[in-house]
Amino acid sequence: MRYQPIPIQEGRAKPPSYKIMTAKEAISKYVHENCYLGMTVSASPASLIWEIVRQRERIKTLDMVITSQIGMSSALIGSGLVRKIEMAYNWGGIEGEDKVFRRAVEKGIPRPLEVEDYSNFGAAMRWQAASMGLPFMPTKSQLGSDIIKYNPKIKVIDDPYTGQPVSLVPASYPDVAIIHAARADEIGNVQCYGLYGNTDTLARAAKHVIVSVEEIITSAEIRRMPNLTTIPYYYVDAIVHSPFGAHWRESNYYYHHDLAFGLEAFQQFATVEGFEAWSNKYIHGTKDWDEYCQLIGYDRLNRLMQSEHKYQQFGEVR
Amino acid sequence: MANYTHDYSLPELMAVSAAREIRDGELAFIGVGMPLMAATVAKFTHAPNFNMMVEFGAVGPAPLRLPMCVNCAVNNERAYFAGSQREVMGAQQAGFVDVACISGAQIDKFGNLNSTCIGDYHTPKVRLAGSGGANDLASSANRTIIMMRQDGRNFVKQLDYLTSPGHLQGPGSREKAGLVGGGPVAVITTMGIYRFDVETREMFLEKIHPGVDLEKLKAAVQWDLAVSPDLVETELPTEEQVMIMRTLDPLAVYLGAGRQTLAGDFEAFMKMFEDSYQPMVKLMKSKGMM
Repeated sequence: MRYQPIPIQEGRAKPPSYKIMTAKEAISKYVHENCYLGMTVSASPASLIWEIVRQRERIKTLDMVITSQIGMSSALIGSGLVRKIEMAYNWGGIEGEDKVFRRAVEKGIPRPLEVEDYSNFGAAMRWQAASMGLPFMPTKSQLGSDIIKYNPKIKVIDDPYTGQPVSLVPASYPDVAIIHAARADEIGNVQCYGLYGNTDTLARAAKHVIVSVEEIITSAEIRRMPNLTTIPYYYVDAIVHSPFGAHWRESNYYYHHDLAFGLEAFQQFATVEGFEAWSNKYIHGTKDWDEYCQLIGYDRLNRLMQSEHKYQQFGEVR
Repeated sequence: MANYTHDYSLPELMAVSAAREIRDGELAFIGVGMPLMAATVAKFTHAPNFNMMVEFGAVGPAPLRLPMCVNCAVNNERAYFAGSQREVMGAQQAGFVDVACISGAQIDKFGNLNSTCIGDYHTPKVRLAGSGGANDLASSANRTIIMMRQDGRNFVKQLDYLTSPGHLQGPGSREKAGLVGGGPVAVITTMGIYRFDVETREMFLEKIHPGVDLEKLKAAVQWDLAVSPDLVETELPTEEQVMIMRTLDPLAVYLGAGRQTLAGDFEAFMKMFEDSYQPMVKLMKSKGMM
């Protein structure tokens, strides 16, 4: 009798090891030229986006996949990093019309941008499929619309069980996901407060996951409320400590959306020169997130935090 | 007897008209902007047991301040549920959403909407935001309410791109496409309110806003618009409805020029919250919601 071990296949689980690094280290390590980048903005990963823009000479070209994003793709698209975007919605939300997106699609400035349209649920189901290791997901959205007509990746079939039409969307496996969340421990267990959009499925779909958080906490604190853990450690590659890391957007229970800043930024984005001046000042003019926060002013950021806490603080009953 | 008022703006009239489409006890899918104002008016007046879902994953928020976006922290303020988008979007696909408010840049006579591009899709004259959740809600919500500007060019014979399905090509076509929701029941514009004929599924004018000329309205529609034989003027807002909207949104961020005044003015932005806190608390308490 002879024992022969089955060759051990390397699994996808990331180890429960120390994962805290700076945004610069994390982006340098995981975001490369021609990366397929996934992003979600239930809390905007602004500190990670800014760092990608700072490293644009090295990264050069990205293909992006989002579901719906509000106001946060401009820095990447306006910097000429994005070649293609797979999306349901890319606009400014309350900040208004996204002139950066329009310039890229309509005029190819600063570079041509290819768009692949889905509905929001259709786009979300692509990460849902990937998160479960499935090749596609069926949905009852998109049927009868031009979304299907202009996007050959979406297939319409008759459901083999009922005979009714369903639309199929292919799984999306981003090379890297950038996410912002409330808190994490040093091995990468990530907890979200409040609504978190598609944060959970994006983290499960991506090959590498970088999460910036408001607070780093102990694993014992994670274990106190494990049902808050949206992303367990085995999906996560890097944790970046970025207090106020979603500014000018909001972070649930931490601080409020800085609308005055966002509206002004979008006014500047109306022209190429305005965008350049803005990104030179706020992104290239600062070496890291702390310097950006100093430029905004910690006083101002703290007032946004006080404003949020006046209305809601996590765990408080009102 | 309701206390009607003439002190209102056109966006306020639209928001109130949409609010009147919402029934007590319903579950609605609501975006920010004008639909949010409509939802708030409904909740504080005739539909206290109505609750809203928000796209990024919140149900039944009861905020004391103005939400800024569908992913905004305000949407989980004192909510019943906060979590994933899959929860709310999945629930709507499964038929749990009674009513949804959507919009578009172009509309045709069957209530199909375009929010993707003006001109050719591959070389657009104007690229727009894209579907977002509008296609999903138009597909699966039990009924949808469409709110949009009517500028003379956007009620078109042929859409440049069909983003969100209305009644598609007419009777039976939604069923044939496999859509589970009921489609649009009302279109509320800057000029009037439209319904859909039960036989033809075509849009017809049901109500006209005060001061709008019928011929001008018809000229702003590119097809031969049917008009209800019982055409009436749109019901005015009540004093209370207007008061509620102005309490939640004192600077008219959503229903006026508030955004222009706030750009770059952090102090004015913070003051907006300071000033509306006490009135909102008072309003909530007066309605037994706090």
